[in-house]
Amino acid sequence: MPPTIVDKSRRNDRWAARLITAGGLFVIVAVIGILLLIAKVSLPLFYSPTADKLAAVPPEFASLLSAEPATAVQQVDLEEKGSVSARLLPDNRIELQRRLVERDILGTEKVSELKETLADPLPGAISAFRLGRNGQNLYAATANGWLLRWDISEQQARLADTVQAFKDQRRITALTTVMGEYSLAVGDEKGQITTWMPVRTPGAGEDKHLALIHTLPGFSTPVVRLLPSPRDKSLAAFDGQGTIRMVHMTSERLLLELKAGGPVVAAAFADRGRKLLVAGADGVSQAWELSIPHPETSLKTLFGKVWYEGYNKPEYVWQSSAATDDFEPKLSLVPLIFGTFKATLFAMLFAAPLALLGALYTSQFMSPGLKGKIKPAVEIMAAVPSVVVGFLAGLWLAPLMDHNLLALFMTLVLVPTLIMLAIFAWRPLAENTDFGRGMKGYEFIGLLPVVALGIWLAGQIAPPLEAAFFAGDLKQWLFSTLGVRYDQRNSIIIAIALGFAVIPIIFTIAEDALSNVPRNLTAASLALGASRWQTAWRVVLPSALPGVFSAVMIGFGRAVGETMIVLMATGNTPITSWSLFNGLRSLSANIAVEIPEAPIYGTLYRTLFLSAVLLFVLTFIINTAAELLRQRFRKKYGRY
Amino acid sequence: MKNYWKRGEPMVMVAGATLAMVLFMTLTMMAVILGNSLGYFWIKDLVQLKLKDGSAVLGQITGSESHALTDEARIQLKVGNRDLYAQDFRWVDEQEIAGREYPDHAYLLERMEHGNFFGYLQGLTKADGTAAAADSVTLAALLHEVQQGKQGLKSIRKQMSKLNMASERLRLKIQKLDYNGAEANSAKIAALTDQRAKLTEQFDQLNNELNQKISELNKATALFRDADGKEKELPLTEIVRFYQPNSMSVFAKSGIYLIKIKELLLDDPRESNTEGGLFPAIFGTVLMVLLMSLFSMPFGVIAAIYLREYAKEGKLVQLVRIAVNNLAGVPSIVYGVFGLGFFVYGIGGSIDKLFFSHQLPTPVFGTGGILWASLTLALLTVPVVIVATEESLASIPKGIREGSLALGATKFQTLTKVLLPMATPGIMTGLVLSMARAVGEVAPLMMVGVVKLAPTLPFDGTFPFFHMDRKFMHLGFHIYDVGFQSPNVEAAKPMVYVTTLLLLVIVIIATSLAIRFRNQMRRKYTTSHF
Repeated sequence: MPPTIVDKSRRNDRWAARLITAGGLFVIVAVIGILLLIAKVSLPLFYSPTADKLAAVPPEFASLLSAEPATAVQQVDLEEKGSVSARLLPDNRIELQRRLVERDILGTEKVSELKETLADPLPGAISAFRLGRNGQNLYAATANGWLLRWDISEQQARLADTVQAFKDQRRITALTTVMGEYSLAVGDEKGQITTWMPVRTPGAGEDKHLALIHTLPGFSTPVVRLLPSPRDKSLAAFDGQGTIRMVHMTSERLLLELKAGGPVVAAAFADRGRKLLVAGADGVSQAWELSIPHPETSLKTLFGKVWYEGYNKPEYVWQSSAATDDFEPKLSLVPLIFGTFKATLFAMLFAAPLALLGALYTSQFMSPGLKGKIKPAVEIMAAVPSVVVGFLAGLWLAPLMDHNLLALFMTLVLVPTLIMLAIFAWRPLAENTDFGRGMKGYEFIGLLPVVALGIWLAGQIAPPLEAAFFAGDLKQWLFSTLGVRYDQRNSIIIAIALGFAVIPIIFTIAEDALSNVPRNLTAASLALGASRWQTAWRVVLPSALPGVFSAVMIGFGRAVGETMIVLMATGNTPITSWSLFNGLRSLSANIAVEIPEAPIYGTLYRTLFLSAVLLFVLTFIINTAAELLRQRFRKKYGRY
Repeated sequence: MKNYWKRGEPMVMVAGATLAMVLFMTLTMMAVILGNSLGYFWIKDLVQLKLKDGSAVLGQITGSESHALTDEARIQLKVGNRDLYAQDFRWVDEQEIAGREYPDHAYLLERMEHGNFFGYLQGLTKADGTAAAADSVTLAALLHEVQQGKQGLKSIRKQMSKLNMASERLRLKIQKLDYNGAEANSAKIAALTDQRAKLTEQFDQLNNELNQKISELNKATALFRDADGKEKELPLTEIVRFYQPNSMSVFAKSGIYLIKIKELLLDDPRESNTEGGLFPAIFGTVLMVLLMSLFSMPFGVIAAIYLREYAKEGKLVQLVRIAVNNLAGVPSIVYGVFGLGFFVYGIGGSIDKLFFSHQLPTPVFGTGGILWASLTLALLTVPVVIVATEESLASIPKGIREGSLALGATKFQTLTKVLLPMATPGIMTGLVLSMARAVGEVAPLMMVGVVKLAPTLPFDGTFPFFHMDRKFMHLGFHIYDVGFQSPNVEAAKPMVYVTTLLLLVIVIIATSLAIRFRNQMRRKYTTSHF
């Protein structure tokens, strides 16, 4: 060979090596970078908010600071519905003045002027009061720790609540309503900030009474002022020295701490809550540009029980959106994680025994010729798109079971019984006849009609049984007798559909593991007189256990992340109930349902990315463990 | 045989029974899909039921059930005529039925809108307003004429869409000039605006012509009545096809069956995807999968070659191998989320900012499209290709490599001349498996560009021919969308079953191919043991 050609091919080789290395590393880095990129999107949920001090109060907002009303009078403008004002009289009573405008269909206005002095006996001197911005409630607090609420939605003001908020009789120094007019924020002389809302208490009937819901990070000195954000359920709290704390009600997070440098006499939010303006006692005004993108998220709201507005106790709730703007987003991932595991668990309970025993049979007892056909068939089953399984589960199986629920339960009883009977009946035939001996390795074919017969029988027996024992409608009976609600798309459907989807995966991997156990082990066992079942159960299965276990784990991992089946075969209701007859919502289906409506880089969008990270991490851990097990297994038998 | 139990024979039977159950479920699934889809194109006879209250119903029997308690039976009829009855299906109690007959002259019309019509022909009006004989021969002749007329409209529509496209391009140009400085480019803008006005004028002219022709065509009508005597006048342009099922031979019905299959594969959908063809969905699926292979194939193979042939075996490589193996098990929805965050909003958003800033906030690449969809799926299937390629490289005996190197070949020569040709079946296995997976994957696609109805194909005759930014239709998504999000699920079900069958056939063929390749590979290199 001429040296130039050798040189050339060597050069080519070097270049190729570099290129392939670079390409290979690129692919691997890119693939692994996925996790980092998703995590990067979800991380800002937990970043600390920031505030930039502006050089001066923007002139267009300056009027907001001067318009601060005298503390003894409060007025609320209800726009076309009139206005309400309240005034604290020197004799510790509140005078309420209302101008209510009612319109009938023809557009004629009826104006009624109401003026009254609230004469209810009070537990102490009023230290703060607040008119709700929708003109429905009037709140007051006393110097000895009582909270009062008047319902002023009717013609006559009614004292709806008298609650001793603080047993230590501390002075309540600041009151305000949180955006949405449902919760009341209370600041006191000890520097504590709490929120209260009407809750149905046990024993009090239909009436709701104020109860302590959230305790927010406060001060060590008295709270002098509370200012609700017009943007979300945040508050700005001020103490006497000019320290300002931005806190969020739902997440109970301290968002920001700002220093005004001296006592504050007036404060306001501007620019839809993006700017905070304060005026100091020294006459100097300051302004901050606030950047608080995700105030409502904390680890507690994502994973803990939270007492939301309108609920009677702390709960795990996922409800990302509602019809109104002042809605409190409920982004607890717990119901979704619960749904994911519920679906996976039921599916695995259904799939794992079927797949593993099936794999054991195929690898150990089936005749080799047939095995060559069954294995590819199962592999093809594994490739059936999940959307197909989901569609059949949602639109064929669910209505079918809705009509024949009892038949399903009968099947669970009848099919095993019939199989047992078949085994008994088979016994005399098994080894005494040529037919019996010839069926070795083909038993399951003989059992196919038995299974079909069981299902057919169940379908025949169920309707008369249902008529006889359950008044013709099992679902109605379940509801009226056991109080169990039956959803058409429920966890049984999921167990069957999701189980059906993971059976081929578990089957294939487990079958591989079982078949890879060296033949000389089985041969030795058989030669020593063990039966084929004893060999399979005591020799093959223990040897292949890591492989079998990894098959189950990989099936588990697949079920955890499956989207389309869960999306189509459950009602996607995010509830935490173990009932077999209820639907569920899984992490993956939740992403598919909600991400089209999630505004980019909003809290919901990032929370969905966070749930994707959770899914990624979860399946990655499961699969890695399974893979390590499998490698151990390979190493163990690699020498044969 | 007292040791029948001791030897565990019954347990063998139990294990066999579980396998029987799994097989039974699979067979049931196949039977349900085949049973529900194959019958869809077969034209069922029309039965006319006389009810005891004196009314009559004409329809096709689609099901029956009997009540558990009372043993009363009822049958489900597809009565069609959605525009008259508002419902496609109707349950009729057996005991309500006074008589049933199969009238020879009952018509089944396939329409452009409102589903099928079942009824009787009353009269025909020609385009010139004169009446014609009300029989099927005349109807066929007139229908043929009208359909020919509709064909003629196609060329006008084509011209119009060309004008529209040109006008849109001008609009974008004007927008761009405007964005770059309205003052400086005012002369150009004026010229272009003029040009555009001319195009619009031409367009309007054509539009008028089209409308005129359509209204002319619409003058030819047929008057039908339903079983109860309610009359309905239909313009012939609304009718796709008509039959008289009760007087058709099996042979004729088979012919229609084939025509309908052809329609399914080659036509556009009608009636919000519940009728007509699947062509755009098939086209979208195939194009997306091919584009995906273009990305996943080279990268997957290179990564596998690196891992198996070039990287030094060690802890790191082993870790990477585990990681890659497991990426195949990461839920597809996670890839979808990644595709949305990285490709669509990340890269797509940047492209828009750089090259299409004059069009913002209307996104071009910053929204789902076929390019992003295939990239996302490529990422999803790269691990499949890597694993398969690695496996096939690993199964080539070491001696072959050593032989080649000993003869003086460089590593690269060994790779391209010896190893790759030998590993080809394995690589093909990976490719086909990845394609099969991509065909059936829906969840990630929903986020990165699949839509229920795409107005245009991603590949067409206008420059630059391949529109990577366009959204597309997909068979799997079609199943989800039509089956779960269409307003009339009951009427849409048969279509979903047909789509399911089609998807399943594609996947099964692909997977069988892959398995065959793999078995070939195994037979070639594995030496038998024991």
